[in-house]
Amino acid sequence: MPGTKNTLHDTEETCMNIRSYLYGSAIALAVAIPAFAQDSDVTIVLNEDLETVEPCMTSQSNIGRVIQQNISETLVELNTKDGSLMPRLAESWEAVDEDTWRFALRQGVSFSDGSAFDAADVVKSYERAVSDQIVCEIGAKYFGGMTLDMEVVDDHTLEITSDPAQPILPLLMSTLTIVPSETPFEFMQQPVGTGPYEMTERNVGQNITLERRDDYWGEVPAVTKATYLFRSDDAVRAAMVATGEADIVPLIGQEQATNPATDFAYPNSETTYLRVDHGVAPLDDIRVRKAMNMAVDREAFLGTLLPQDAEAATHIVPPSTLGWNSDLSPWPYDPEQARALLEEAKADGVPVDAEITMIARIGNFPNVTEVAEALTQMFGDVGLNVDLRMYEVAEWIDLYSKPFAEGRGPSILLAMHDNSRGDPVFSMFFKYACEGLQSGFCSPELDQIMADATAATGDDRAALWKDAFAMIHNDLVADVFLFHMVGFSRVAERLDFTPTIATNSELQLAQINFK
Amino acid sequence: MKSFLTKRAYASLISLLFLVVAVFFLSRLTGDPTNLYLPVDASLEARENFRALHGLNDPLIVQFGRYLADLAMLDFGESIRRSRPALDVVLEAFEWTLILAAITMTVVTISAIVVGSLAAFRVGGLFDRTATFFSLIGASAPDFWIAIVAIVLFSVNLGWLPTSGTGTVWHWIMPIGVLFVRPFGLILQVVRGSMITALGSAYVKTARAKGVASRPIIFVHALRNAMLPVITVIGDQAAAILNGAVVVETIFGFPGVGKLMIDSILQRDFAVVLAAIMVTALAIFVMNLLIDLAYSVLDPRIRY
Repeated sequence: MPGTKNTLHDTEETCMNIRSYLYGSAIALAVAIPAFAQDSDVTIVLNEDLETVEPCMTSQSNIGRVIQQNISETLVELNTKDGSLMPRLAESWEAVDEDTWRFALRQGVSFSDGSAFDAADVVKSYERAVSDQIVCEIGAKYFGGMTLDMEVVDDHTLEITSDPAQPILPLLMSTLTIVPSETPFEFMQQPVGTGPYEMTERNVGQNITLERRDDYWGEVPAVTKATYLFRSDDAVRAAMVATGEADIVPLIGQEQATNPATDFAYPNSETTYLRVDHGVAPLDDIRVRKAMNMAVDREAFLGTLLPQDAEAATHIVPPSTLGWNSDLSPWPYDPEQARALLEEAKADGVPVDAEITMIARIGNFPNVTEVAEALTQMFGDVGLNVDLRMYEVAEWIDLYSKPFAEGRGPSILLAMHDNSRGDPVFSMFFKYACEGLQSGFCSPELDQIMADATAATGDDRAALWKDAFAMIHNDLVADVFLFHMVGFSRVAERLDFTPTIATNSELQLAQINFK
Repeated sequence: MKSFLTKRAYASLISLLFLVVAVFFLSRLTGDPTNLYLPVDASLEARENFRALHGLNDPLIVQFGRYLADLAMLDFGESIRRSRPALDVVLEAFEWTLILAAITMTVVTISAIVVGSLAAFRVGGLFDRTATFFSLIGASAPDFWIAIVAIVLFSVNLGWLPTSGTGTVWHWIMPIGVLFVRPFGLILQVVRGSMITALGSAYVKTARAKGVASRPIIFVHALRNAMLPVITVIGDQAAAILNGAVVVETIFGFPGVGKLMIDSILQRDFAVVLAAIMVTALAIFVMNLLIDLAYSVLDPRIRY
C-alpha cells in the first residue's frame, strides 16, 4: 500500500531528523554564532506560534499579522481609519447590476513563485476558501450563506455575481487572500502570494522569517527582513523590546505599558458585553434588562480593572463602523432607578429573585475574572441574584452558541466580540437575528431592518444600521453593553510606526519606517 | 536478561494500549473540536463540513477503530489545528524537551552527587549546613518566580543573557538554570542522607582503619552503595522534565512538548494529545529500563 510506505518513510525520516538535530545542537552549543542584523531588519514578537501559514486562515489574528498584505494580498484593502476601500490587486471595481460586480485586476503582478497573477487565481482562491475539502476560516466567517459565481471575462477582468445580492461585495473581497490557481485543495506549508514579502524560513515553535521581494509590483517598503518570534508571557515580550532583542510587540499587558516613548494604547476593535438570554424569565422582562444596564457603574472600571482608554459601549461594534449611532449614550449608573424597576416587575409577578447564572470565560481578556466578579456584585447591589461561573473556552463556546439547552435557567454571558471590517453585517446577524447563532432573542421587526440594511448601499445602508443600533440599545434593551476595549503595543524607538485598530488583525511591514 | 527485557516490553505495551484507550475516550468526552476550531460566527454549514471532513460525525467506536487501524501502520493521524501529521508536530517539540532534560539532568546529577557526598562527609559542618540551606530553598522556590527574576536580573538589568528563545548556547543557560534548581535540591538531599548511612557502615570503618584516603572512601567505596535510592529519584525528576517543563517552556519561549500537550488538550486536538502521550510514555519506559539496568550494574546481587 502506498500509504503505508509513505508513513514508514516519514518515520525513518523523522528519526534521521532527530539524529541530525542532535548533532546540530551539539555544534550550536559549542559555537555560539552571533547574528548580525541589518538596520532595516525588524523583529516582531507574537504571543503564540502560528498554527498554520495557510493564507485562507488569515482571519486569525497572528496568522493575519504575518501573512495578510505582507505575503498574500487581497483585491481590495480596507482603510480602517475611515472605512474606505483602497485598490490593491484590483485597480477598480463597479457594480454592473444589483447582484453583479466587475473587477479590473492589476496587470504585471507576479507571485513569489514567479507565476503571473490573473483572474483564474481569484476564482481558485474563492473556491479554496469555501471548499468542503479543506475548512478555511475566511470562507466560514465571511462567505457563509451566499454563493458567488465568478466569471472570467478576460485575464484581468472578473465579474462576480452573488446570490443573494451583496452590496458590500468589494468589502468582502478585502478578506479574500489570493493564492495561485495551481494551489491544491490542502493547507499550504509554504505560502505563495503576490505581496511585498515572501516566507524564507519557518522553524515551528521558534521563528518565521519574511524577506523583501525584488519583483514586487508596488512601492518598495523600507523593511528588508522581518523575523517573527513567539513568546506567551506578557512580561517577557515587553522586556524583549527593552533589551533590544525585538522591535515590535503587538500585544503587551496593561501593567507593562508604562513607558510613553515605546508603549501605545490602540482601540483593538473588540467590544465586551453581556449577552442576555431573553428566553427565560425574569430576563424576558424589559424592566429587568433595563435595571441590569443601570446597575453597572461603567466609569468605575476604567483606569482600575480595565485600561483608562477603554470606552463605555453602546454598540456591539467599534465606533469606526458604518452606521455608528452617535445619538446613543451609555445607560446611566442609577442603582435607585434599577431597584425601582425591579420592584415594579416583582409587583407584576416577574420572578426577579430567581438565580441568574453569569457565564464567563477564563482568560477571555485581562482581568476578566475580576470584571465578572465586580459585575456580579453590582447586580447584587440592586437586588438581583447573580451567580458567577467561569468556564474554559470550549464549554463557554457551547453555552454562547445555539442550540441552547432545553430547561436551562436564566443566564447572562460575558463575551468579547471583534469587528474590524468596518461594516455591521459581520456582527449583527450572528448576535441579533432570530436565527443568529449567538442571539438571545427574536424580533421580526429588527430582522426586517437588518435585512433592508444588508441589501442597501451608501447613505441608506448607514441610516438603516443606525436605526438597528438604536432599536437594540434603547427599545429592545437587548444586552448589557460594556466597553470598547483597547490593546497595548510596544514599539522600539528607532521605528516610525504607530499601532492602529488594524493591528489586531494585520501588521503591514510596508507601513513600518525607520526614524 | 533477555527474558526480562521481553517481559518489560510486553508489560509496557499493555500499559500503553490501556493509556491509548483511556485517553482516546476521555478526551472525546470533553466534546468535539468544531466550535473551537471555527470562529464563533462561522455558519452551521461550515461546522457541518468540518465535522464531516474530520470524521467527527461517526460513532465513537468507529472513530476508535479507524484510529487503531492507522496506528497499526504507525500513522498517528493529522493535527486538525496544524494540518500536519501529529507525530511530526510532537517529535519536533519532543526533541527540544529531550535535549533540555538530558543536559539538565546530567548537570544536576553530577553537581548533586559531588556536593551531597562532600556534605555528608562532615555532617553539621559549615559546608553541609550551607549546602542543605540552599538546597532546601531551591527545592521549595516556585520556578516561574525564579524564571522571571532571572530574566529581570540577567537580561534586563545586566544584559548578559538573551531574555528567551533559542538559537545560541546563551539561550540555553537560563532555562537549564531554572530547571536545575528543584531537582538539584531534592537529589542533593537524597545523596546526602544515603551517603551518611553508607559512611557509617562497617566497610567504610574498615577502609578508614586500613588508612585509605578520604576521597576514594567517599567516591569509590561509599558512593556506589549509596547510589541506589539516588537513581530512583533521578528517574522521577527526569520523568517530570520529559513530561514537559511547562513553566520554563512558556516563559522562555522554548518549543517543548509540555506546552504543546496543554495547548492541544485545550484545543481538543486529539491526534496531537495521543501522539504526545505515547511518545513521552515510550521515553519514560526506556528511561525506567535504563534505571533497572543501572541497578544491576551498581549492585551485583540484582540479576534479572
